[in-house]
Amino acid sequence: MTRFFLVLTVALLLALPVLAQQDYLEVTAPGGRALQLAIAPPAPLSGSANRAVAGEIAELFRFDMTLAGPFAVQEAPAGEGSSAIRPGTFDFAPWKSSGASLLLKSGYSISGSTLVLECRLYDVTRETELTAKRYTGDLKELRRMAHSFSDEIMRVVTGEPGPFSGKVAYVSTVTGNKEIHLMDYDGFTVQRLTGNRSINLNPDFSPSGKEISFTSYKGGNPDLYRRELFTGAEARISAHRGINIGGAWAPDGNRIALAMSKDGHSQIYVIDKYGKQAARLTNGRTIDVSPAWSPDGSRIAFVSDRLGKPQVFIMDADGKNERRLTTSGSYNVSPRWSPKGDRIAYCRQQGGGFQIYAINPDGSDDSQLTSEGSNEHPRWSPDGRFIVFSSKRGGREALYVMRADGTGQTRVSRGKGSDSHPAWTRW
Amino acid sequence: MRKGMLGLFMVLCCGALLAGGCAKKEMVRGEEPMPAATTPAETAPAKPAAPAETARELPKETAPAPTVMAEALQEPVQTVAEAALEQVYFDFDSFALSQAARDTLAKNADYLRKKNPAAKVQIEGHCDERGSDEYNLALGEKRAKAALNYLVTLGVPAAQLSFISYGEEKPADPGHDEAAWAKNRRAEFIVTK
Repeated sequence: MTRFFLVLTVALLLALPVLAQQDYLEVTAPGGRALQLAIAPPAPLSGSANRAVAGEIAELFRFDMTLAGPFAVQEAPAGEGSSAIRPGTFDFAPWKSSGASLLLKSGYSISGSTLVLECRLYDVTRETELTAKRYTGDLKELRRMAHSFSDEIMRVVTGEPGPFSGKVAYVSTVTGNKEIHLMDYDGFTVQRLTGNRSINLNPDFSPSGKEISFTSYKGGNPDLYRRELFTGAEARISAHRGINIGGAWAPDGNRIALAMSKDGHSQIYVIDKYGKQAARLTNGRTIDVSPAWSPDGSRIAFVSDRLGKPQVFIMDADGKNERRLTTSGSYNVSPRWSPKGDRIAYCRQQGGGFQIYAINPDGSDDSQLTSEGSNEHPRWSPDGRFIVFSSKRGGREALYVMRADGTGQTRVSRGKGSDSHPAWTRW
Repeated sequence: MRKGMLGLFMVLCCGALLAGGCAKKEMVRGEEPMPAATTPAETAPAKPAAPAETARELPKETAPAPTVMAEALQEPVQTVAEAALEQVYFDFDSFALSQAARDTLAKNADYLRKKNPAAKVQIEGHCDERGSDEYNLALGEKRAKAALNYLVTLGVPAAQLSFISYGEEKPADPGHDEAAWAKNRRAEFIVTK
């Protein structure tokens, strides 16, 4: 049984009272320069070195910390070969002289299939430890352990944990059909969830991350399904004639907004997670699709072509007070509200493809985030720092991650199929 | 046991911070087994006897080798009826029926009323790849319904017709240019019975 459960214990190795004050670290160094973060080569805690494990840990930290935003990642200075990671057992001098402000040290030991990963973040200037954790679990959980410490680094530096240990659900054609898959945010640990060989679209996580909704043609109609991730149990929750698409979980975890055409035209409805208590929110004769909740559940952004071409609108969660949000561009779709509520990402058709934009909910500060290739399906990371999206810039459609301001665009999915429709959850 | 150890650690380490979010105990179960790939998934169920001309034409169109002929017969027999039902095409982001589309639908209606009044036809609405996926699912449905409603006004019983939208999920032409897009903005007529 334990094989199927994550046996992962986390030990807090040191907790310095000074941490609570958060007064010694500035997210942005003076002049807006990034914090210099040095990553020491992962060292064996005991026993012999395992080059593959050490390399994977180091590469993962480099990837996370480079994408993270506040940091400029440094390698170890030449001649710095100390494998000691605990406070007081190594000399800060070489790190100081290399200009590092922060130092990430990690150690591992492997016995059988059990991995112990010990990670420590130091303030180089003050020669103090900022946080330290020891993770114990199956060797297969290596990446999750290390991503968890990346989250912890973000928590210590900014006050809010990172999203790196989360999961991304997405649609991949790798089997020849569009099936729902799950991966780490950086493209590793791919698992296929559905295997029904029809068309499966639009996965969306429940707020708990334990369920997804998605649309599938497996019953011969685009119907909405809800699936429990850990049991695989699936229920068809909306199967009206016509489309049942674009399911979006409400922040309360009990309701799902979606577009249905059961009354003749594609309109926005809210149902409970069992498919009951349908409430119709829009009452037009044109196309309304793609509902997206504000994080407080009070409003819903959606797409409507009521004025001719599709544009993003916002309404209260009861359907009242509809107003147009996007006013530039002739074709704006796929809105997604940031978890902080301050921005709405969406796609604008331009130049034969799509580009991702973000706009304030009051319509101000409308800014373009992507420009290379065609980019669609923007979805926020659970902390709102990043956006995962699909892009055809490399030819075949693949998933990319960028910071919320459009910087740091990085390909993350490496499958042999086309990957699209991402959704990111904490795990 | 491990929880106890963890608790001990936390106490020993002043317990100032919780190890939040790191020790969820669930894991996604392994991948579902895929159905065996050898099943002839796309083969339609056996169809009622084909119109007389089908039986004559099918062997003629195929090579004489018996194995090839067997494959040809596995194709859905509705091919001929579907071949009689021509696709109609749409402008970008539009479900309006052009005169050409109306002419085509008139021929389709004529065929369904006079030659094949028992046929059940599912009208598929499709889009090119340029719209958003969800918008295109709604738009494809508008196209299918526009074709369906026009057939009904021409006297085809509504009970004979159904619709489904595939949005941009099933392009007829996988290309990425206007020639391909024009072929993909369509309504198709699939004989289901």
